Amino acid sequence: MSLAEGSGPSSASESAALGDALAFFGAVADHAAGTPAAQGRLVASLAAAIAQIDELPENESDALYFAALLRNAGAIANAAFAKAQDLNDRARSLARDDIPAQGARICRMIPGLPEGCADIVRWQAEQWDGTGYPDQLRWSGVPASAQILHIAQTFVSMDDPEEALAAITSGAGRAFSPEQTRSFVMWYHMTGAEIAPAAVPVHALRADDGASDAVLSVLSESIDSHNATPGRAARIAFTTRELVRALEGSEAEQHAAALAAEIFALGELRDAQMEDEQFDPLARLGLDLRTQHAVCAADIIRRHPFLREVEPIVRARAEWFDGTGGPQRLRSGDIPLGARALSVAVAYDALEQARTTKITEDRTLPVTRLETASGTQFDPAAVRALAGILKQHA
Amino acid sequence: MIELHERTRRICASRIEEILLQYGCKSIVDPFMGIPTHLNYLKRHDFAVHGGDLVEWFVRAGDGLVVNDFTVLRDNEVAEIVEMLPGRIYSVDLFKAWEGVFFTEEQCIYLGVWHDNVHNLRSDGQTGLAIFGLWNVLCYWLQKAHFPDDMQDVPPSELAWHYIRKTERWVSTNLRRNTVRRSDVLTTISAQQADALFLSPPARNSFRSADARIWMWEAWWQGNPYYNIEHAYRDSLFGARSSDEQGYARAFASVLSNAQDYPVVIVQTTESRIKELEPHVRNARPKVEIYSPAPGETYLIGTK
Repeated sequence: MSLAEGSGPSSASESAALGDALAFFGAVADHAAGTPAAQGRLVASLAAAIAQIDELPENESDALYFAALLRNAGAIANAAFAKAQDLNDRARSLARDDIPAQGARICRMIPGLPEGCADIVRWQAEQWDGTGYPDQLRWSGVPASAQILHIAQTFVSMDDPEEALAAITSGAGRAFSPEQTRSFVMWYHMTGAEIAPAAVPVHALRADDGASDAVLSVLSESIDSHNATPGRAARIAFTTRELVRALEGSEAEQHAAALAAEIFALGELRDAQMEDEQFDPLARLGLDLRTQHAVCAADIIRRHPFLREVEPIVRARAEWFDGTGGPQRLRSGDIPLGARALSVAVAYDALEQARTTKITEDRTLPVTRLETASGTQFDPAAVRALAGILKQHA
Repeated sequence: MIELHERTRRICASRIEEILLQYGCKSIVDPFMGIPTHLNYLKRHDFAVHGGDLVEWFVRAGDGLVVNDFTVLRDNEVAEIVEMLPGRIYSVDLFKAWEGVFFTEEQCIYLGVWHDNVHNLRSDGQTGLAIFGLWNVLCYWLQKAHFPDDMQDVPPSELAWHYIRKTERWVSTNLRRNTVRRSDVLTTISAQQADALFLSPPARNSFRSADARIWMWEAWWQGNPYYNIEHAYRDSLFGARSSDEQGYARAFASVLSNAQDYPVVIVQTTESRIKELEPHVRNARPKVEIYSPAPGETYLIGTK
């Protein structure tokens, strides 16, 4: 399913869908970096306002908007935050400096972004006096758009506007260029530091068919890379889709479930360990953690209307069929079909990966173990369907 | 007032890293090193790096940022650099020639004090860090002359402290041997072996219009405000032939022919100069890829 499904394949709707997908990508990246998920829009809107005062050319201003949304893209899979990294404090701090350059690389993988967007992300932490990173550019070498993003990010990340104003003006000539600082100060006094939401410049996106799906694919691969679970999202998405199909779910339900499978793991981005590393997938002990991850992911997804079909699936993926799961203690048919399929697929993948890649004495086939939880944790129909699918693919 | 540009060349370390990764390179030589921040970045990302240049302060800064794996400055050591120490006799008039032209009286006195203090440091690593940190102070002062109302007045010693501490942040080890040398391009190329040779050759005649900050800081390091940076380049491959178009072309061709042992040659240039350099790279390498990721940034990548 295209994200623009139901609204026709016109390029305008594709661009709008791509814009939505990019905003979601940015929100997930902000979450990975530990910043509030709504901050991206604020930074983008402020950057757009300063760019207007600074008389930045329109194409650069458009690129700046999306760069602001994606400014933390490099935090996903960055060594400072990613799992399976054993770094001391100093190494972690240096790894954090790689966020801009890694973000630029991710932006270059995303189709349809305006030209120059990746480099604004790359140079967002450059300082005007040449002491920033990654490239230690100096003065006119730092593009004005990157300087504006730096200023907007600094302002939004501080709680007190007056304190932020003082920090930015005192940084003129060091962290920030005097010219762009002047534009910021002008914005500050003109608006009273109220950030007005800027229109998303979707016209600047070069959206082809499927561009938005491609964005989500890049995102799901990045999440897997962050969680040190390469290929997991694709495997679980495949199994989930097959299960929903076997349970006679509609095309739309199959698609929503597969999409949920691709992104549900964003709830685990901020934890040091994966839930499967801490608890057996069939153990009730892991329920709280699984519920917490499900709610975390669903809360981020909920802010993005284009994923409204996906949110209930992700939220309910830790529910138990007998009504003793979480977070809402839904029972049997009250649990969305996609969520029933997703919980089976997630548990199956964890068991199968443990069996094939880890040293374990338990050689029981995963499906046999899943059958023991059929009717309690899992929908019996979903477990039977999985057994059938495995037979087909055997 | 001095016209101030970013640099004569934009060296984008993170971009070079991407090229090195794409071509599977683990080590690099840059014989036109300049300010070695890009080599420091590549070192921090686990590449073995080797640089060479004819300007001494570049090489000294490289001692601090490239060769140095562990040395930093303790608080008392930074204090010994940025302040006038009791009991030490300083040549406070050393840079008086610049007073009223580029700097204020107070700034010229501090330049003299810092010159003496840095020359008294105990290790190459510390000296390199101090030179680079203080260079940022010089840049700040020069910019302050352009933006007197926008930039804060910061006491010189406080500014120096701030920038030296910032410079130290980049000290790290990659558990490899990294080197810098004061030598001409051909010497550097033949003295080292690496997977990639990075060339960002100076434009023809560029030595004659060297960035004011570069010659000024070399003059500061040498303790001679009248120092002429052309001395550093006079007998070099490019310096000697720089006024002659064919001579420049021959010099560039000879660099490439001396670099046959390097599996990958990366030449950074601009859209306007690509026609001048591309034929030479194609003569030297059977496969050449042109990569232009941003305006003003073009790479000719030659492989065997």
